[in-house]
Amino acid sequence: MDSNQPSFDMRDHSFLGRMRRRFRGWVNRRIPPAREVTLDQRRIFIFPSRTGLFFGCSLTVMLIAAINFENNLSYALTFLLATLFIVATLHTYANLSGLTLRAVRAQPAFPGQQSEFLVMIERKKRRDHYALYLKWPTSSDALVNLVEDDNIKVQLHMPVDKRGWFRPGRLLLESTYPLGLLRCWTWVDLDLHALVYPRPMSSAELPGLATDTPDGAAAMVDGNDDFYGFRDYRKGDSLRQVHWKGLAKGQEIQTKQYTAYADRSVWLDWELFPGMGVEQRLSHLCYWVLEFDDRREEYGLRLPGVTIEPAVGDKHREQVLKELALFGKGEAQR
Amino acid sequence: MNVLQQVPRNALVWIIISLFALVAPHVARLPIWVLAVYVIAVIWRLQVHRGRWSFPGRWVKVAMTVSGFVGIYASYGTLVGLEPTVALLLTAFALKFIELSQRKDAYVLLFLGYFICITEFLFSQDLLITLYSVLTVVLVTSALVALHQPGLNRFNRGTARLAGIMLLQAVPLMVVLFFVFPRFGPLWTVPLKNHTAKTGMSDFMKPGDVASLSQSADVAFRVKFEGAIPEKSALYWRGLVFSRLEQNVWSGLGYYDVPLSEQRVDEVVTSGKPLSYSIIMESTQQTWLYGLNYARARSAGVLHSSDYRLMSPAPLETEYMYKVNSWLNAPIEMELSDWRRKTETTLPPQGNDRTRQMALDLRAAAGSDEAYIQAVLNKFNQEDYVYTLRPGKLSGQNTIDKFLFETQRGFCEHYASAFVFMMRAADVPARVVAGYQGGEINPLNKTVIVHQFDAHAWAEVWLENKGWVRVDPTAAVSPLRIEMGLEEAMASEGSFLSAAPLSPLRYRSIPLLNQLRLRYDALTYRWQSWVVGFDSEQQFDLLHSMFGEISTRVFATLLLGSWALVLVPVAISLFFKRATHPVSPLDKYYRIFCDRMAGLGLVRSPGETPGQFAHRAIEALPGFKEELLQITGLYDDLAYAGVKDKAELTQFTRAVNKFRPDRRRGLVEEDITI
Repeated sequence: MDSNQPSFDMRDHSFLGRMRRRFRGWVNRRIPPAREVTLDQRRIFIFPSRTGLFFGCSLTVMLIAAINFENNLSYALTFLLATLFIVATLHTYANLSGLTLRAVRAQPAFPGQQSEFLVMIERKKRRDHYALYLKWPTSSDALVNLVEDDNIKVQLHMPVDKRGWFRPGRLLLESTYPLGLLRCWTWVDLDLHALVYPRPMSSAELPGLATDTPDGAAAMVDGNDDFYGFRDYRKGDSLRQVHWKGLAKGQEIQTKQYTAYADRSVWLDWELFPGMGVEQRLSHLCYWVLEFDDRREEYGLRLPGVTIEPAVGDKHREQVLKELALFGKGEAQR
Repeated sequence: MNVLQQVPRNALVWIIISLFALVAPHVARLPIWVLAVYVIAVIWRLQVHRGRWSFPGRWVKVAMTVSGFVGIYASYGTLVGLEPTVALLLTAFALKFIELSQRKDAYVLLFLGYFICITEFLFSQDLLITLYSVLTVVLVTSALVALHQPGLNRFNRGTARLAGIMLLQAVPLMVVLFFVFPRFGPLWTVPLKNHTAKTGMSDFMKPGDVASLSQSADVAFRVKFEGAIPEKSALYWRGLVFSRLEQNVWSGLGYYDVPLSEQRVDEVVTSGKPLSYSIIMESTQQTWLYGLNYARARSAGVLHSSDYRLMSPAPLETEYMYKVNSWLNAPIEMELSDWRRKTETTLPPQGNDRTRQMALDLRAAAGSDEAYIQAVLNKFNQEDYVYTLRPGKLSGQNTIDKFLFETQRGFCEHYASAFVFMMRAADVPARVVAGYQGGEINPLNKTVIVHQFDAHAWAEVWLENKGWVRVDPTAAVSPLRIEMGLEEAMASEGSFLSAAPLSPLRYRSIPLLNQLRLRYDALTYRWQSWVVGFDSEQQFDLLHSMFGEISTRVFATLLLGSWALVLVPVAISLFFKRATHPVSPLDKYYRIFCDRMAGLGLVRSPGETPGQFAHRAIEALPGFKEELLQITGLYDDLAYAGVKDKAELTQFTRAVNKFRPDRRRGLVEEDITI
């Protein structure tokens, strides 16, 4: 576990800290991480809520009134409400039982940004589920009903800070429906991680820019010199390079490609930033990745042990950023 | 605001409904301005909801709370007692509603609502009130459910249904708890009702009191005899004894009027089988109980006074049930102490001189006390005395003279009072007794219903070797009153219940209405004896008869057993829901069609539209082209245009039912060879 795990401190040696760790361990064994969790009695916890305790106090007052006034109907109402409390246990439990929580995806993000986590709640039985409250320890929260549809996607946002995989911890799913007297909840680890890229750090110019052709290094003009062919339009391609004539004739949308584009590819190299720390280098590299991606120019990446051939496009950018994000974080993390 | 703390609009509607439902039964007891507070509170809160007004500020809240207290104090003159306390509670309830903004406010409000339901029971445990309270409990619970249904902005009946279902599921265990939970006495003294009118007989009597009580058709108490019901003329429900006459007002002896040596009553020698019965009194706010003389209570907690009355230690706040044994012929107080003789022969020093003179003359002529009594009764019977509910007002001094010699029109209290006066004037110990006489027998459950109009006053005379003997001068004037009841006695006058034109008792001649009234009364009796009057004695009897020896183990088994009995069915109903959605008949038959196709090896893939599937099927099985096109076409029409009339659907289902490709193998040989 890395330090991105929130609210869990291994160094806490107090009694409470130890108890909390043991409890975590117990929960981990009981509800192991999985992409999809169906809630059953092993995974659902239920206990009177604070409101329930308050209700219990109210019932005690009512009982005392019944005893003191020797009023049988007051007894009856008190017992009815006490039994209602017990019956509500089953209803509250049933509101979570049988639901399936599924990890959909987690949006990669830069440090300081909010990552969007998408989970899906699904029901298998025809039963209305109300007031399902979802929250990760540091995320925004959501309150959803599962009444008309059989599944619902819930977006939760949470700030991320450190480069690498962000583990949001256990997702809390809670409900006090129907009476608020009991709190029924579960903590599931959906095995959903968000990729956190390095924090982009600008540098005025790229020192000792490494290109395939050393003399073309500084010529950062748009590569529209020599046309050499078409390829399928990809999202993000410049509109200036779209083959509009073809499109007008009813052909598929295509992008014109130019040789200069390919020639002027840049290598973003670990060695470009001598004398800097690991995070700093990655931050600068990250900045330039975004910069070149913005300009739709080809770029490659050379890190110690990693080489990505120059290319352009969203997929390429994501691959490069992922390498930067996970650099030095250990192979097991990929 | 936290999403969990929001109050859905739907919940707000339910809370407002419960608010008014809760205050409604209290209206008659509340000062009118409290109701105004309710209206203002709802308007204010709705304006807040619409964004017009804002929540009250802190000082406004403080001001409202203080004026609430001041208002209650001004209306009741005190803050102590049950009525002011409940009024305060109801005012607080309305004020709390104004500032309802978060869910936790709503919890406080609704739990207070449940408590207000309970306070209603302190005033009445009537069957109708109980049914109404069930409704309010459902409403409050619905509001609680609605509070947890975010995003349901439309008013939803399902909310109340769930609340109702949950309450129904709670009923069985509640019933067990009700009968099993130990009943012990009050833990401390509680505020009493001191603003509710006392009903029934009062502890003093002046001419006209009983007559005015006789205008009421309310039930005083109900009696259930363990054996046969005695004759109506023997039913003298003795409640109060008036031994003192001061300024034309008869009153009873207070506890401190009786010297300590007289407090302890000689044990009455009883013989023979007693008459056993139980009585359920309506609440009177008074302490006296009724019984047939000589009465000995079988219920613990009933006191016996020195003049052989039954008393409750505390005023009857609600319905009260007690059991009595009576020996109608037991001689009472054979030895009269000097103090008692003096007390029961004392008259005011002067006044009513003509009566006094007549008494002395009659006594001298009679020769014995018995003969004297007979002479007085004969006088009432033979002279021109009238028994009437409209005796006219007797005022000033010497009212007994005026009654005996001038008006000669009186109700039972006039006759009893004049009779006792004449006895005492001749030095015969006598006193006035007040209570009820007779009662209506409900043939449905064999109970005797005693109404307020059965109120009666008679006399007791002490005779040597006989003790206290009951003498009813009214019987001498109007024998019909004692044998048949007030209605028959007043038939010619037409004054029976003239002040209560709507009382169902006036319509006893209509069989259907009378049947309904008696049925409801029987239901009320059952309700009072099993629910309202259920006490530790009845509890012991019930548990003993059901389980024999009562031990902790029996209790535990009972509780756990009922627990399982309640929760298992609930759990089954909750967790064994149908696994899939209910399928429309259209989809159901299309599935049957697909299943039949699958039987031929043509499985519809998940993303395939019916049209595509039909296309593929026709290619594979050209022999079925016509049917395939028909079924698919109908399905498409119905699925996209909606099922408008049944005929189309029937056409579709019939087409599917007829489609039996496996039975027409001849047409598909090319497929079978594959």
